[in-house]
Amino acid sequence: MLDTLRRHAARFAGYTELRWQTNRGQRIGMRRGTLLTNASGQSTGVSARCWRDGVFGFAARHGGDDATIARVLADAADNADLKGTGAGRTGGPLPDAGAGTGAYDYRTARPALSPAERIDIVRRLDAYVAERYPGLVNFDVALNTLSMEKALVTSAGAATYSYVPRANVSVNLAIQANDSVVELYEVFGGFGDPEDQLSDLEATFVKIDALYEALRRKAEGTYTEAGLHDVILDPTVTGMLAHEAIGHTCEADCVLAGSIAGDHLGERVAAEKVTLIDYAGRGPDGKATIAIHVDDEGTPCRDVTIIENGVLKGFLHSKETALRMDAAPTGNARAYTFSDEPLVRMRNTAIAPGTDRLDDMIAAIDRGYYLMRSPNGQADATGEFTFGISLGYEIRNGKLGRAIRDTTMSGVAFDMLKTVTHVGSEIGWSAGGMCGKKQWIPVGSGGPPIKCKITVAGR
Amino acid sequence: MTATATGVAPGIGTGTLAGADAPALCAELIALARARGADAAEVTHGSGERFEIEFENEAVMQVRSVADETTALTVFRDGKRGSATINGRSAQAIEAALADALTAADAGVADPANDVADAPSEPATAHGPAAPDRPAMRDAVRACMAELETRHPKIRTRGSGYVFDLGETCFANSRGVIQRERRGAYSFGMVFIAKDGTDTTSANWSGAASFAPFDALLDAGVTRRLLDETERSLHPHPIPEKFVGDVIITPECLTGFVGMLAGALGGHALMAGTTPYKDRKGEAIADARFSLLNRPRAPEFPGGATFDANGVPTRDLDVVRDGVLADYLIDFYISRKLGMAQTAGRTNFIVPSGDSALDDIVASTRRGVLLCRFSGGVPSANLDFTGVAKNSFYIEDGTIRHPLVETMLSGNLQDLLKQIRGISRESVNFGGGRFPYLAAGGVTISSKA
Repeated sequence: MLDTLRRHAARFAGYTELRWQTNRGQRIGMRRGTLLTNASGQSTGVSARCWRDGVFGFAARHGGDDATIARVLADAADNADLKGTGAGRTGGPLPDAGAGTGAYDYRTARPALSPAERIDIVRRLDAYVAERYPGLVNFDVALNTLSMEKALVTSAGAATYSYVPRANVSVNLAIQANDSVVELYEVFGGFGDPEDQLSDLEATFVKIDALYEALRRKAEGTYTEAGLHDVILDPTVTGMLAHEAIGHTCEADCVLAGSIAGDHLGERVAAEKVTLIDYAGRGPDGKATIAIHVDDEGTPCRDVTIIENGVLKGFLHSKETALRMDAAPTGNARAYTFSDEPLVRMRNTAIAPGTDRLDDMIAAIDRGYYLMRSPNGQADATGEFTFGISLGYEIRNGKLGRAIRDTTMSGVAFDMLKTVTHVGSEIGWSAGGMCGKKQWIPVGSGGPPIKCKITVAGR
Repeated sequence: MTATATGVAPGIGTGTLAGADAPALCAELIALARARGADAAEVTHGSGERFEIEFENEAVMQVRSVADETTALTVFRDGKRGSATINGRSAQAIEAALADALTAADAGVADPANDVADAPSEPATAHGPAAPDRPAMRDAVRACMAELETRHPKIRTRGSGYVFDLGETCFANSRGVIQRERRGAYSFGMVFIAKDGTDTTSANWSGAASFAPFDALLDAGVTRRLLDETERSLHPHPIPEKFVGDVIITPECLTGFVGMLAGALGGHALMAGTTPYKDRKGEAIADARFSLLNRPRAPEFPGGATFDANGVPTRDLDVVRDGVLADYLIDFYISRKLGMAQTAGRTNFIVPSGDSALDDIVASTRRGVLLCRFSGGVPSANLDFTGVAKNSFYIEDGTIRHPLVETMLSGNLQDLLKQIRGISRESVNFGGGRFPYLAAGGVTISSKA
């Protein structure tokens, strides 16, 4: 497809991006032996975006033949020239960010699983839960896959191809407690095709056993006490914090819209132990949740250090925000489907590992909580964040205690980060994760366990 | 199940489907699926066009147009079901959809609840305009930017969008059911904060949809009220102390709580056995002033629908009437799975207005929160909720005192519905639902201290 796009580059008049994209996904969902969902989907099309006098014109259509490509190029130009909209805020040329090239194909090298084999994976997991834990009120098992295949050429000389897959299994268990039904949800898997992620079901069985034990303890658990507490955040919660509470405020389009981060560049916003990075590629350990090497504007991706040793150092940029803020593009312009325009998005956002031990963190807390799973989270321009907590434990006198029921934690990012006293040495990554900001996009988030103070809700 | 048609698997002629209209395309796909061994099949074909002007305070950022066409095919064979969705209609894509759906069904698990619906086919309907008025959209955006500059100088917005969507949907299944609908509508969405020096408010959001172009974009939904409230929120304070009090839930915030309730009254929650409302039909589950109505055919809702994903015509349903649980939300599959009558396949909710003026509700509140946005975790199966009150205000002795920061709420939706204290006369139509202000007690309100 890249060759086809290249042929049309001769039609480019001024700054232009031309992208072909196919997203493929599958969901196989089973509830107590009933196959509720057995569906696959594919979406293919081309888009063109041009820049005229500070305004983007964007057009997209399904398909990908020569006529369709010519049509989107013409429509994008027409849209940019819509009479009467007036010039954009910044009419200068978009910055030269280098021209990304190369093919980044992460499709599996293993033999492809047939549809029957994929369904059989879900059936075996479902049967395992049914046989081993017959007392559950309900359980759901689902296999979810998503691959994004892209080809891009730009007037700046970028020409690149990528295929990036992700696959995971989600398991939700529900048990009857004394007072109500209690649930616990976990996602296993991450980067790669299902052939890469699900070759060892025995390992998933072990994880399900651990999930059930956590659920059993949660059903016998206690409600959290409202207030500010010493807490330890598990890597997945640390990652949620890095993404939602800090990362979003440091997306340059959010900075331009007035986010709190714009007022603190170069200032201390966190404890010295805290370094926070948005990683391109596969991250520092090669195990991050997604991979991106050239963004959808054709900019080669680079790691962006957002916070270094507690000081706010940088923001995530597209070409347009870089132009507006006199900065360099960072390779953070990403689009979800062929019909979406690139927006400033995070990639793999994480707090960098430190040197502290988890045992020492627990021992350092007289009365607090170990917060281990967050099924959802939100933050806003002030850095104020709210995360649901679905799994955690009390810490009493330096030791883990009873499990806790569902609760919520909240805080203000640049206040809370200053309370960090310990940063663990081992990084962990999310198994899934979709971020919503006009469009959805797959993201990775992670980090080590950290100890800090945070507000926890209670009855 | 319908009778099986068998024979040599036919190929797809490239000229057969390329120019076919939607009903012919759906019929051809069903015929192909059955010729290849499907007992039954259903197809939903959708074509859509979008035109969007995206802007910030002082300038248009992007003008965007999108055209797409999707086809979703579900086939049934020996009680098993498989689905595939593609876009475009190339012979290659259609072949892939057929093959994927059939192989998925072959690999599936038999379930007596799997089948296509038998329902009356209705005449095709058209709702709203068939094309955007681009000059009017452009002028409305320019007027909006000018008004923001003159009347709301502290408001910062980026990525606000004025959108026109045209969608045509055709459904057909192997029982001969065929439905068609076209909907064209405008929508406006705006994310914004107020900023004064380094003082920054929480982000706020407003949006609504309408069949007619908006005369003034800031009139959409509750945009003007939220702009004013946001500008008044630059210097928020926490609550003085933890207390148990009232919340007055605004219409835009009530949509989220209604979503929680609808989930607990839905067929999937009944099937899972996790909802506290199981086996409670006919019981009072809320204050008698509260009703929840499903009205997907309401002419006021551009986001409505005349048929559901299984081709069953939508209909009115009183879910909660005068506080009593009148019915569950049961779609076609769940109706067969649980042996219950189908009641709903699409949802567009109305919470009917009450008889109190909002000002009177506020004046009668001794201590509480005007809850304009709730940022919380997923509620527990028991409908416990905890979260932060965003863009919200503290109320004491009948007066709105000050904007709030870092204020947490916790309660239980079952209890909240029984402790309703008032429902406003005022309501807001967002284009897909209509909601009033709802006041209720018994919510624990705390700060981080």
